[in-house]
Amino acid sequence: MITHPVYPRLLRRETHSPRSVAAIVVAIVAILVGLYVATELVLALVEAPALLISPSDALLSLGGIDRVIPGALIAGGVLAALIGLALLILALLPGRRARHRLPSERLAVVVDNEVIASSLARTATTAGGISPDNATVTVSHRRALVEVQPPSGLPVDEAEITRAVEERLDSLEARPGIRSKVAVARHGKVGA
Amino acid sequence: MNNTNRFLNRAWLGLVGLLLLAGGAAAIALGSLPEAAERWTSTAPDVISSVSGWLRDSPVGDAGFSWLTIAVIAAIALIVVLLLVFIIRQGNGHTRELLRESSGDNGETIVEAAVAEQALREALHAHREFISSSVSTYRVRGASVLKISTVCQRGVSPTAAVRIVERHLIALDALLGREVPALLQISGGFRARTTGATRLL
Repeated sequence: MITHPVYPRLLRRETHSPRSVAAIVVAIVAILVGLYVATELVLALVEAPALLISPSDALLSLGGIDRVIPGALIAGGVLAALIGLALLILALLPGRRARHRLPSERLAVVVDNEVIASSLARTATTAGGISPDNATVTVSHRRALVEVQPPSGLPVDEAEITRAVEERLDSLEARPGIRSKVAVARHGKVGA
Repeated sequence: MNNTNRFLNRAWLGLVGLLLLAGGAAAIALGSLPEAAERWTSTAPDVISSVSGWLRDSPVGDAGFSWLTIAVIAAIALIVVLLLVFIIRQGNGHTRELLRESSGDNGETIVEAAVAEQALREALHAHREFISSSVSTYRVRGASVLKISTVCQRGVSPTAAVRIVERHLIALDALLGREVPALLQISGGFRARTTGATRLL
């Protein structure tokens, strides 16, 4: 399947998040904080009035921070710790995107899970002889759930739908592999 | 596809995350543990007095301020510039050159990326399976790589989409005389989902 040495790299990068948005947001916040601190330092140097608090006053009040109401200190601490934890999680988790790889002799292929879902929905409704709007398909990393809403009063062939969906998934050869489950709703819908 | 340094992104997020976590934990400890507050009260004045001592002992001539302050401002400026570079470097890696080949002593042949991009875009435009498609070229590890992004109609088989693009790409290979590495990204998108409902009355 892999015909060029850069394909594994391309596929890995296309199926995982680069974390660019989070990194840029954090960088912008850090730049703003840095610019503010530098402004206060310069204002103190030229002995101009501070914007909010002069650096020496800030240092002094930091020394007395334990005299702040404990509740406020704890609340601030919890908030900072939670944001820190969220950033650590972003840094460490793989950040998989909702995509699958497909085989090809010539190129590297990634397909969004929603495209696979849409294709399975068409397969299921065609096999069941019902309207394309009456199947809901959810595709996640390793499974596909096909929910079919039969028209009221007409039975649908669940075995036939299952066979068609499995056949479509087999021919797709998505990596990582997807297993399917077909669920036909017990109550039909009028006009479906 | 682009050359964003993903390890750097994650390292930066991890570093800021650790600092915030440590600061937050310290604040929680100060607010909830009397011993921590006591230790803070006993050490903070000493730290402040030694910092003011350094500031006094490092004057710039008779200007009345410390060069330490200048150094801190310079350090902040440097960090801000580095962060700006970090932001600007995200998502780069486009190239306008597809192939470059020297033909003996008589110079070089350069094929621009636009040749392949326009040919493929034109070819894919004719297929009803795709609502839209775009082609761009990136430089990956010294090789030009085509990135073909397509938005499929609702219900189109991804396999069929791959076969269509493969066919046009192989035609392009014949035209160029080279196999240019390529990546196809198939997505659904908003318009694909709101294609009108079928209703028989």
